[in-house]
Amino acid sequence: MEEFNSGEEVVFNPDEISVSVKECVEGVIGGTDYNQSKVNQWTASIVEHSLTHLVKQGRPFKYIVNCTIMQKSGAGLHTANSCYWDTATDGSCTVRWENRTMYCVVSVFAVAVAL
Amino acid sequence: MLLEREITSWKRHKAGFVVEDVSTIIKESVEATIGGNAYQHNRVNQWTTSIVEQCLSQLSKLGKPFKYIITCVIMQKNGAGMQTASTCFWDNSTDGSCTVRWENKFVYCIVSVFGLAI
Repeated sequence: MEEFNSGEEVVFNPDEISVSVKECVEGVIGGTDYNQSKVNQWTASIVEHSLTHLVKQGRPFKYIVNCTIMQKSGAGLHTANSCYWDTATDGSCTVRWENRTMYCVVSVFAVAVAL
Repeated sequence: MLLEREITSWKRHKAGFVVEDVSTIIKESVEATIGGNAYQHNRVNQWTTSIVEQCLSQLSKLGKPFKYIITCVIMQKNGAGMQTASTCFWDNSTDGSCTVRWENKFVYCIVSVFGLAI
């Protein structure tokens, strides 16, 4: 097999990913309040569903999906990412979501696989 | 016999993602950047940037055939709950990750390094 996707270039598309990740997050925590006993399941569920969706696309990428949920209580939170990769083929996408009681930040990193 | 064992262990170490080495690099970087400081809204931006950049430059100095992704989260200690999760779709035999949780009296700092073999 010479190509994964016939005719398409191996380039990461952040907009598509962003949309599907938002849907995942909405599906898992949309309409709920921060709940200490459930947050563990929520983060696991969000990363798993997002990853499943990405893998289904059948593109030649390795993926890393990271999800952070934080209760809204006035604390400051800061995150940063740094990547050492091939800027022509690899990429990332970060989705920030919030409701009345919590923040959710999901980052997806896609690294091209040499074919 | 001791020499043989040492050589094998060195070869295994040299090739793959070595969690202990990466963990040390991360800890040193966080200590050097935050140390005993309190959460300061106007400086935390520099801290996260400095931590990821230092880690990245130390990791690339290792000279291994890896692509790296480094994330750093700094959170003020005020009683809020926070949970993070990561999942990875990669080659289990060659790729690896290392997460370090660090804290002082005023902040939590969580750094994750993912290494993907080229």
